Amino acid sequence: MATFFRLRIVRDLGIALIVVFGAGSIAMLLAHVSPVDGFYALFDGAFGTTSEFAETLVSATALLFPALGVALAFRAGLFNIGAEGQLVLGGLAAGVTGVLLPGPPVVSIVATLLAGALAGGLWGGIAGFLKSRFGANEVIATLMLNVIAGLLATYAVDGPLHFASANEGETPLLAKTAWLPAIVPDTRLTISIVIALLLALVLWFAFNRTVFGFELRAAGGAPEAARRAGVDLRRIALQAMTYSGAIAGLGGATLVTGVLHRFNTGLSPGYGFVAIAVALVGNLEPVWIAVAAFAFGILQNGALSMQAEASVPRDVVNVIEGLVIIALAGRRYIAAQRTT
Amino acid sequence: MSEPLLALRGIRKRFGTVQALDGVDLDLNAGEIHALVGENGAGKSTLAAIAFGAEIPDEGRLETKAVVGLVHQHFQLVDRLNVWENVLLGREPKRGWRIDRVAARERVRALATGHGLDVDPDAIVETLPIGVQQRVELLRELERAPGVLLLDEPTAALAPTEIASFFRTITALARSGTAVLIVTHKLQEVIDYSTRVTVMRSGRVVARYVTTATSTGEIARAMVGGELPPLAERAPTTPATRLRARNLSAGSSGGLVDGTFEVRAGEIVGVAGVEGNGQSALADALAGVISYTGTIELDGVPLTAAVTPAARLASGVRVIPQDRRTEALVLGWSIAENVALGRHQTAPIRRGSILDRAAVLAAAKDVIERFGVRPSDPQTAVAALSGGNQQKIVVGRALGAQPKLLVAYQPTRGIDVGAAALVRSRLIEARNAGVAVLLISFELDEIFALADRVLVMSGGRFVGTFDRATVDRGRVGALMAGGR
Amino acid sequence: MNAFLIALIAIAGLTLVKATPLIFAALGGVLSERSGVVNVGLEGIMIGGAFAAVGVSGATGSPWLGASAGVLAGALLAALLAFVATKLGYDQIVAGTGLNIAALGAAAFGLVLVFGQPGASREVPAFGAVGETALTVLALALAAALSLFLNRTPWGLRVRACGENPRAAAAAGIDPVRTRFWAVVAGGAIAALGGVFLSLAELDLYSDGMTAGRGFIALAAVIFGRWTPFGATGAALFFGFFSALQYTLQRAGIPSELMQALPYLAALVALAGLAGRVRAPASDGLPYAGTPVRPSSGMTHASSAEWPRDRP
Repeated sequence: MATFFRLRIVRDLGIALIVVFGAGSIAMLLAHVSPVDGFYALFDGAFGTTSEFAETLVSATALLFPALGVALAFRAGLFNIGAEGQLVLGGLAAGVTGVLLPGPPVVSIVATLLAGALAGGLWGGIAGFLKSRFGANEVIATLMLNVIAGLLATYAVDGPLHFASANEGETPLLAKTAWLPAIVPDTRLTISIVIALLLALVLWFAFNRTVFGFELRAAGGAPEAARRAGVDLRRIALQAMTYSGAIAGLGGATLVTGVLHRFNTGLSPGYGFVAIAVALVGNLEPVWIAVAAFAFGILQNGALSMQAEASVPRDVVNVIEGLVIIALAGRRYIAAQRTT
Repeated sequence: MSEPLLALRGIRKRFGTVQALDGVDLDLNAGEIHALVGENGAGKSTLAAIAFGAEIPDEGRLETKAVVGLVHQHFQLVDRLNVWENVLLGREPKRGWRIDRVAARERVRALATGHGLDVDPDAIVETLPIGVQQRVELLRELERAPGVLLLDEPTAALAPTEIASFFRTITALARSGTAVLIVTHKLQEVIDYSTRVTVMRSGRVVARYVTTATSTGEIARAMVGGELPPLAERAPTTPATRLRARNLSAGSSGGLVDGTFEVRAGEIVGVAGVEGNGQSALADALAGVISYTGTIELDGVPLTAAVTPAARLASGVRVIPQDRRTEALVLGWSIAENVALGRHQTAPIRRGSILDRAAVLAAAKDVIERFGVRPSDPQTAVAALSGGNQQKIVVGRALGAQPKLLVAYQPTRGIDVGAAALVRSRLIEARNAGVAVLLISFELDEIFALADRVLVMSGGRFVGTFDRATVDRGRVGALMAGGR
Repeated sequence: MNAFLIALIAIAGLTLVKATPLIFAALGGVLSERSGVVNVGLEGIMIGGAFAAVGVSGATGSPWLGASAGVLAGALLAALLAFVATKLGYDQIVAGTGLNIAALGAAAFGLVLVFGQPGASREVPAFGAVGETALTVLALALAAALSLFLNRTPWGLRVRACGENPRAAAAAGIDPVRTRFWAVVAGGAIAALGGVFLSLAELDLYSDGMTAGRGFIALAAVIFGRWTPFGATGAALFFGFFSALQYTLQRAGIPSELMQALPYLAALVALAGLAGRVRAPASDGLPYAGTPVRPSSGMTHASSAEWPRDRP
């Protein structure tokens, strides 16, 4: 049983690698760049120096949060395509709280991160409510909410939540006490990576050892059997989408408090979408997702270098990520993915 | 002797670890009604699918010059389309680039009348009763003028009067030269209507008979390969009322209407009836899965009419659902986790917010031992188990929870003979130990083997009650068909 | 009174303009879903169509050639999804999401390669008022044509059968995999026209993310239109109306983001109201996992199939 699992992981990892190197090479050739140069620039940019490696971990962390959220919803049988919007609103809430709340660092940090989680949880909860109360398709609901979130953030940050001292589209710098402490000096790598890894462990425990996780997995694996076994599917739907959003929102908050030190509407270059790929590559298992996040962090961070050093547009990475998602779409995790 | 219209030679087919067919030969001759019998899992449906072309065997030869038609056990109709669209799908009469609807209607009408089948070409299939839907499926195959017609369990969902009418059509077809194969386990129909019988067991042909020269007893013995293991002994019990239902109505059309009945501790009440006469609504109302009107009392305490299976489970009601694959098991999980499902909200498996893994393992091992589940490793994925072993887990976990009331809905559906006998024995043992058992089954033989009392359902209502000692098979059959 | 009438006509016209890309995308979605394949990748297909149209129009100077290229690009993108979803039986929603991400990235990549600059292309030869009107008329005509196709023609009947019960279709001798594949590809070609309209009719350039979620609104339109061509068109017009309102109300001092959000909010509200009351094609979203049926049909020659074929 364990060997069987490992075999599948290995095979899927192999597919992902083929897509990455294959599609990447083709794209690089189209850009008149030798794949060797292109990939060298990518990996050099990801690992070359300590600060570059730290930056890779920063990207990995930014992906790990929403990926864990997406995976939680997925295990419950729900497609959360709205992690991007939940992340952005979480960042906005954290940004505003961080500006307004000076105080001892612990209080400030906890408050900003909490604000982010609450905002993300609320946003995810809307889709969860629509699903739970009306049976509304959460794919479409989260897609709609994504766009609305972006518009809401843009409006708010220049409107009712605008601070006089800030530029357009962003908040002023957060109070220093709200900044997450760096764990590698002179880099942007903060304790957020620790928080993310701890969260992964917590989720692993929740999925495999708690009654809540058991019911959640039952709802995703066989909703009718779960229902007859006493699982409240509606409650699970609401809880799963709320927690999922909260985790993504927490991710947005850590971006604001740890990396940018302010909220900016350009906060996320699509982390919420790439997170879907990360969750799939990680087979929806929290520990493997952390590994996958690291791999994708390499891609994301290395891509910037690749663009600067080898003149390959960084959007190549998005193409690769999208293709990886397609290549791994054959895995079935939940009952909703049955065949006819 | 003339050449058979269809011949199968040396057919082998494997699904995963199960050898469904292990070297099967079969001939179908013009004008015969050939019965293919065997217990569940014998390979009959697979063989029919191969003869039709829907499955490809691993080895073997299929020879036929004829057009082959197949009427499936579970109809393959497009519910939202109408009758002529279903019958003429893929062979639509055209006028330019459009479908010629007038011609289509006419063709279907003529075809139906020609075979003595009464059906409205414009009716939407999902609005039709099951017996009529079967006619549509039959017409679809007849439209292709098949030389060979395969029918898979054609009378499973028909009332006795519909069965007689069905066989009239089939006999006429055979007389006109078609070779008919009927896959069935209803031995009386085999004796009454077929010309030849082929008996299968565990993927092999074990006997061939000419119908006039054999009997249901001989066929049954060949199907089972000897005598069945005896069922558990029925101990004397002193039944006290446990479940009392009054004026129970549930479900929409085809549901339960005004049901009043009792089930006592230490007895098995069998609910007999043709599929689709309210049994599902009855089971679901008791399970707390659908809403209902009327009252249900368990040991004198009224159960709330709220739709919460959790409350029912807490009250001591356990249900063996009709479809284990979607309603009872999480196929991707292990045996252990499946045993825990439904018992995960109370001690000993639940400890606060955590699952007690030792308790889960203990419960799983208990079920595996008592029911002889193979393979016996609790971490085995349930999807890898045979249907019989899967059902053992469902039954075992329900009984392991020491229920007050057990609702067993088709508890031996689609499992092999051995597993079925074991499940039935365990049900009797539960009855002996004081559990109140409500057995809902579409197999009259099962009801008669197990029940202390028999209730008959027809049209959603309870239309008759019989004691074990005085039950009359003919009367029950008549009541099932809606007679008096 | 005259001013009111003029305003009304203006809004009506603007509604049509805003709705046209949605109509194309929604019709593509309807065709795909009626055959049983959910196409979440409409957004990516529209992007692909928009970009290809601009690229080719810029290179050749002809918006018509550009439009054709857009249609072709949409068909190709849809073919990728169709292959993965039908022949391989992969999860349609996951694959569609991947397609969106990949297409967006590919278009951004292409921007730099073809136009040498990120963010937006330069202006290219585009459709004038005549071409724009022609496309809108085409959209409405396609709605009628698709309705006729689905309800009156043999192929439409087969598409519908595959979407409801592919096993039944297989039992009738139809190949659900092939039927679904071509339905998705054709749907992609139609949907891509929506992107072409955005980049060559409403504007005359391509900019990153210019579809702004319209492909997702089209999905909502498919549901509200109860998976019928006319219904989806009506829903698209409804959403287009909200978009059109945005410009009028903006002058009333209401923030533009709120206006932009109106169609998406409307979609959410309607989603909540309609869920449970509409029925998708029964096999929508479920890959067909049966073997292709080959009913033995002797006809004029003996059919003697022998397996396994490769044994000596």
